[in-house]
Amino acid sequence: MSETNVILGVIGSDCHAVGNKIIDTVLTGEGFRVTNLGVMVSQDEFIDAAIEVGAGAILVSSIYGHGEIDCAGFRGRCIERGLEDIVLYVGGNLVIGKRDFSEVETLFKDMGYDRVFPPTVDIKSVAQSLRQDIAARQ
Amino acid sequence: MIYATIDIGSTWTKGASFRLVGDRVRLERRAARPTTVANLSDAFFGVLSEIVAGDPLDQLRGGELRLRYSSSAKGGLAVAAIGLVPDVTLEIGKLAAQSAGARLSQVFSYRLTASDVAQLEKRQPDIVLLAGGTDGGNSDYVLANAAALAASRLDCDFVYAGNREVADEVAALLAGKRLKVVPNLLPDFNEPNPDPARDAIRSIFLDAIVKGKGLDVIMDATGSEPVPTPFAVLEYTRTIRELVPGWSEFLLLDMGGATTDVYSAHLDTPSSGVIRRGLPEPTVKRTVEGDLGMRVSAQAVCELGDTTLAATLEAHNVSKADLAAYAARVTAHPDSIPTGTEERRLDTLLAGLCVGHAVARHVGRMTSVYTPEGEVLVQTGRDLSKLPKVVGSGGWLAKAEGFSPGAWFDGHLIDQRGRSVLAPRNFAYYRDADYLFPLLANLARDIPAAAARAGIDFLVAQETRSEHATA
Ligand code: B12
Repeated sequence: MSETNVILGVIGSDCHAVGNKIIDTVLTGEGFRVTNLGVMVSQDEFIDAAIEVGAGAILVSSIYGHGEIDCAGFRGRCIERGLEDIVLYVGGNLVIGKRDFSEVETLFKDMGYDRVFPPTVDIKSVAQSLRQDIAARQ
Repeated sequence: MIYATIDIGSTWTKGASFRLVGDRVRLERRAARPTTVANLSDAFFGVLSEIVAGDPLDQLRGGELRLRYSSSAKGGLAVAAIGLVPDVTLEIGKLAAQSAGARLSQVFSYRLTASDVAQLEKRQPDIVLLAGGTDGGNSDYVLANAAALAASRLDCDFVYAGNREVADEVAALLAGKRLKVVPNLLPDFNEPNPDPARDAIRSIFLDAIVKGKGLDVIMDATGSEPVPTPFAVLEYTRTIRELVPGWSEFLLLDMGGATTDVYSAHLDTPSSGVIRRGLPEPTVKRTVEGDLGMRVSAQAVCELGDTTLAATLEAHNVSKADLAAYAARVTAHPDSIPTGTEERRLDTLLAGLCVGHAVARHVGRMTSVYTPEGEVLVQTGRDLSKLPKVVGSGGWLAKAEGFSPGAWFDGHLIDQRGRSVLAPRNFAYYRDADYLFPLLANLARDIPAAAARAGIDFLVAQETRSEHATA
């Protein structure tokens, strides 16, 4: 497992491409080796890439409002396929409608994600916690 | 200048000589003799003396004659490919082996188990290709697999094309074996690099076919090296694509007794509304199917466990037992030629099944995904559905005047997972009636433009197919 190799992509049938490119640019600038899978990425595609690359973390985006369905069961699938220690982040417009973010955070943390981010998050601060979280797992 | 070209096949050694007239080649002479397996040079020099007037060796030395030759000895070397994730490094490993002209005998992913190693020892491949991990990526699996291979009784060539960070450790582990270390076939996740592994396999292939059997005699006498036939044909496909106007997109079928090879030249361009998944596709690609062939592999064709076989048998009103009995007969007598209507019908059925399945495996898939915005198409592999031209080559297809491959491609419109099969649908079909492609492929190494042009000029146009006209 490498401290700087991370996988990035937009999960499910989601085509929103802009945020994905921004996260890639910022994290690359922060010294990460980003393997960007782009939009419409399945859970297995994230995991395949993470295994080959020896990634320390997977960053999942969900923008179109179906995050609750697309993101469920991801942690279990990672464990099943040999990635028990991988850091999992999720962010974007995770749910539809006006729901309190703390409620959304709990929902996704229960699914096994280590950190959950709202669309307004500053990606540079994400880079910092990412470095710490990966180091803590080694 | 006279150009002589010879292809040493497993049953026939064929040759032809050509003369360059302006920027075109003219066929001078042709010859074929049964391959002399014990000493390949016997048939080789026999054919050479028939296609060249006078003393060929003297003319070679004098520079008036150019000679190129290829060999498909053993139907290509057997390669066992070991990757990490099936859809990732294993897939690129398969591509590297097939484009080198090899035959895939076994594939493994993740960690080799004791019984995997036992299977390898039993099959004794000629080459084991070991890959896994991007550069700086995962190293646990390749190290574990290298250790397992080191402890095995395997006595073959090994090629390591995995994570370069542990290349030295892998080399140390496999110190007791014949090992070639080459650059990673997936240095970076989105940038496959199959060529170094492919070149290593090809050069091992050459060393192996040259040893004994008389090829060394040929090399000494002629001063030139052979190339593996499928490799030459793949490069020829590329040359045609690049140099013959109107032929940048086509598919070539080469069906033999043991395997069915499919080559395609196609540049996959992104189209709107279609999202591509999986590894990027090479512009020129070869796949080889070891379980699809007209003689040695005929029985395997009857064992294809899918719905297409059942549907085909029903549509042609043939029982599985009848086809299996015929397959058993031709496998036992590989040089048999069908006699009578019934045998010809069964022979054509075998050919159609081979061609249909081989193309279905070669091409990509399209599936639709419903999103909140509507339908989105997701494509994996190459989309050959709009390919305008198909060429049939190899002994059987070369002679099959009335054969129409399109109908057999259409046996595979939708696969078992409900995805559309992206095989050519409306295309012009051409026959390599004199089976010159392997010979011209050799010629293309010296005079690419003329050889590519000649291959197309010698083709015999068959029917042009339009989907709706036949429906
Ligand atoms: C442009 C756009 C589109 C374009 C997308 C073009 C493209 N290929 O990119 C099109 C027209 C195709 C489109 C379609 C749809 N869209 Co739209 N779209 C937008 C819009 C206007 C802008 C999106 C954008 O680019 N934002 C800019 C980027 C920089 O921000 P971002 O994507 O949010 O990403 C940042 C953060 O979220 C965060 N982030 C994201 N992921 C992660 C992950 C981690 C780990 C971290 C730390 C951070 C993080 O960092 C990113 C960079 O700063 C938004 C509204 C808006 N203003 O946001 C709606 C919006 C996203 N779309 C929406 C919807 C509903 C749809 C459709 C379902 C509409 C429909 N009914 O057809 C479809 C879905 C199509 C599909 N299959 O994906 C809704 C989503 C509702 C929800 N989730 O609650 C939005 C919010 C509009 C709205 N207010 O209703 N859309």
